Amino acid sequence: MPQTLNDTAGWAPLALASDIMTATSAGTVWNGDEIVIWRDSAGRVHAWEDRCPHRGMKLSFGFVRGDRIACLYHGWEYDSAAACRYIPAHPELDVPATIRVARYKAVEALGMIWVAPLDQPGPAPVDQTQVNALRSLQVDAPLARLTQVFVTHGLPGLGLVRDVVADGAVIRLTQGAVRLVAGLHPVDDATSMLHIAVEGACTQQALAALVPATAALRRLAETGVAGAA
Amino acid sequence: MMTNPTLWNYDLDDACYRVRLMASLSGVTLDLRSVDAFPGNEHLGDEMLALNPLGRLPVLEHGALTLCQTEAILLHLARIGPRGAAFVPSDDAGAARMRDWLFFGARDLAAPSQARAVAMLGAAGDAGALNHAARHGLRLLEDHMTAQGFRGQGFVAGARATVADIALFPAFALCRDFNLDHDAFPALRLWARRVRQLDGFITMPGIPDYH
Repeated sequence: MPQTLNDTAGWAPLALASDIMTATSAGTVWNGDEIVIWRDSAGRVHAWEDRCPHRGMKLSFGFVRGDRIACLYHGWEYDSAAACRYIPAHPELDVPATIRVARYKAVEALGMIWVAPLDQPGPAPVDQTQVNALRSLQVDAPLARLTQVFVTHGLPGLGLVRDVVADGAVIRLTQGAVRLVAGLHPVDDATSMLHIAVEGACTQQALAALVPATAALRRLAETGVAGAA
Repeated sequence: MMTNPTLWNYDLDDACYRVRLMASLSGVTLDLRSVDAFPGNEHLGDEMLALNPLGRLPVLEHGALTLCQTEAILLHLARIGPRGAAFVPSDDAGAARMRDWLFFGARDLAAPSQARAVAMLGAAGDAGALNHAARHGLRLLEDHMTAQGFRGQGFVAGARATVADIALFPAFALCRDFNLDHDAFPALRLWARRVRQLDGFITMPGIPDYH
């Protein structure tokens, strides 16, 4: 029996895979925890606590070199196991193995990057279905509110929402001929993200035409929410 | 106009940076004249107000020209620089789009520069309102660049960088200076990376040199 995402509780979609290019890094926040997502030069994805153990600088401000990420402040370099391997101010030093960054598990599935705590026992998402990445949409509203607006209106203006399926941290729904899949990402109590993709065949032109509807979803979800943009 | 243009410059001012960046990309050598804008307020002294009564940087002098509007300075550099023509579309539609986004930057995306000046450079202003407006403007640019990606166009006015990209770049690249993270702007992150990869790209404090 194929895996459903309900089996993968504890795993969260934090980015569209195509938004994190090889040898780049990006910061994000998951339930208040700051996380850096980065791809090494071989394209493997990593997710760590977004903090250099040296001075607390965000590693997402840093840069990727080969299979290492380097901190912007003082250039400390960490390998793919999150161990510090090089300190520019002390080039001869054999860096102590205790200097490490806290890691998360990270996998790619359904066109998204999924992250879970290292001690998360459940299975990782494995769905390798090809999807068309639309966009990651950040909204000034709690995830519950954004989810409720999305399952009710989909992307506003695209027609009646049908075939809504909630599967773990993903919602699927159909509007007209458009089949949407959205990863649910709580940022903090007041902010959330949807990582939205289109399933099945879809032209680039059709994807471009969907962008205004995603902005309409953002406006609708923020309507009446205190402090929203 | 055989002499180098003179830029009245303050290194931490993002508008002065746009001018230095456009000059570098266009192949123009600038003679820099330092103005102690913060904390010295020299841009508000008699000498600078005689040059630019608006009390603002940058100011570019070139021969008989004195230019005080950032966008006008950028267009002038693109016009006189040996590599500048690449940053001005030769087709009517491309040139019109470039100007549309230039004016967007001057009018609708003015808040990030102001928010940063309040946060870092002692300027007066309502930080909360400016941050809010900055975020709104950057969201609109993010929406646009998301759609541009599907059109196969990596820059704001088309497939190639124009003067408009240079005018808009610091609003996003420096927004962490007023505590606005890049997290919500994946399309702008990819766009900024393309700008950084342009031949002749230079940095300023807050835009690190690493690629």
